[in-house]
Amino acid sequence: MRTKLCVLAVGCGVVCLTTTALAHHGFDAEYDANKKLTLTGVVQKVEWQNPHMRVYVDVTDNGGKVTTWNLEMTSPNTVRRQGWGPKDLEAGEKVTFTTFAGKVVESRGSLVSIKKVSDGRELFTAGGPDASAPK
Amino acid sequence: MEAATDDAGSAVVNRILVVSATVATLTLLLSWQTDAQQRISSIPAGGTPLIADKDVNGPVPRLPDGHPDLSGPWLGGGSNADIEREGGLKAGELPLLPWAKELRDKRKEQDEPYVACLPMSVPRINPYPWKMVFSLTPKGVTEIYILHELGDAGAHRVVYMDGRKHPDDLLPSWYGHSIGRWEGDTLVIDTVGYNDKFWFDSRGTPHTEKLHTIERFSRPNFGTLINDFTIDDPGAYSKTVQLKFTARRVRQDVELMEDICTENNQAGIAGGYKLNSEQR
Repeated sequence: MRTKLCVLAVGCGVVCLTTTALAHHGFDAEYDANKKLTLTGVVQKVEWQNPHMRVYVDVTDNGGKVTTWNLEMTSPNTVRRQGWGPKDLEAGEKVTFTTFAGKVVESRGSLVSIKKVSDGRELFTAGGPDASAPK
Repeated sequence: MEAATDDAGSAVVNRILVVSATVATLTLLLSWQTDAQQRISSIPAGGTPLIADKDVNGPVPRLPDGHPDLSGPWLGGGSNADIEREGGLKAGELPLLPWAKELRDKRKEQDEPYVACLPMSVPRINPYPWKMVFSLTPKGVTEIYILHELGDAGAHRVVYMDGRKHPDDLLPSWYGHSIGRWEGDTLVIDTVGYNDKFWFDSRGTPHTEKLHTIERFSRPNFGTLINDFTIDDPGAYSKTVQLKFTARRVRQDVELMEDICTENNQAGIAGGYKLNSEQR
């Protein structure tokens, strides 16, 4: 029974850690669940502001055209409580990110994951910087 | 011998039931997880650390006057996406009058005033911590302030504990007029004077200015806060509604943080819509 309870607890834990990150407003009205992109660019700025934290990344296409992606996350308070801070990602850093595109304004995305190209370290994950450090 | 056979048989049946329930639950959880992962894999909304499970059944701390300390901070304890389901009712059990059901069905989540940074009001609770602050004076606890990290538009809710009555000339407001009293270890908050602007949930469940709510808060152990919640609104409901919500205690070192929702609210732009169009 103890094992079964542990299995259930693990199941619940995984679910609890993966519920949608947007609480202040819904996902479906703004973002396209069928348009998931992975891109590489340079961080222009990071806004630790409410109600949602945002990372702006300049992405240059093959023709040299630069598009600034505005990537929405959960609240900055939530990210801080997991141990992340302003020094973990700063302007000028090259990053690879995965995002759902905006339904109408494509370059306004709902951020799924983001990591530094320099060390492959994934940022802003549950558990904080220590949990996401390269093993 | 027969008894032993029965015992063995029931043990097998019990085992099958437990395994079946476990498989069914995990299947449900994993399908939910897949849907959630489809959306996002970074930190979830809220992400607020709760106390450890081993501490949930600990003793209830007491205020100097002997009443249970309901301060918190807490997570949950109210409605969020669907008051009917979250309050413990089955689909369709909420006794909405036809016009109110029609209004709920046509409302769109993005039009909720809360998305435009207006207050959540009662009993809406988002996935961020909240707490009760007891104002202790030489006359005892004269007020309780209820603070949500996000959702009050910079305002606060006050519950008067000094024995006053509701005024008879209230102007409708987001939090109405709340008076509280203790019934044993249960804090009873009676509120009238609400406006009809806020929604009970992001689904759009409505109410009218006739709304009268009764919240009965109790703390059965260290880690749990129960909110037995009554909706009395003859303007939108055919009868009084009784709901139940449960909050969990947030970890001791977690403090409420500054959260000014209007600071940088860009909701709606990616989807090409204006906020709060119902109110415009």
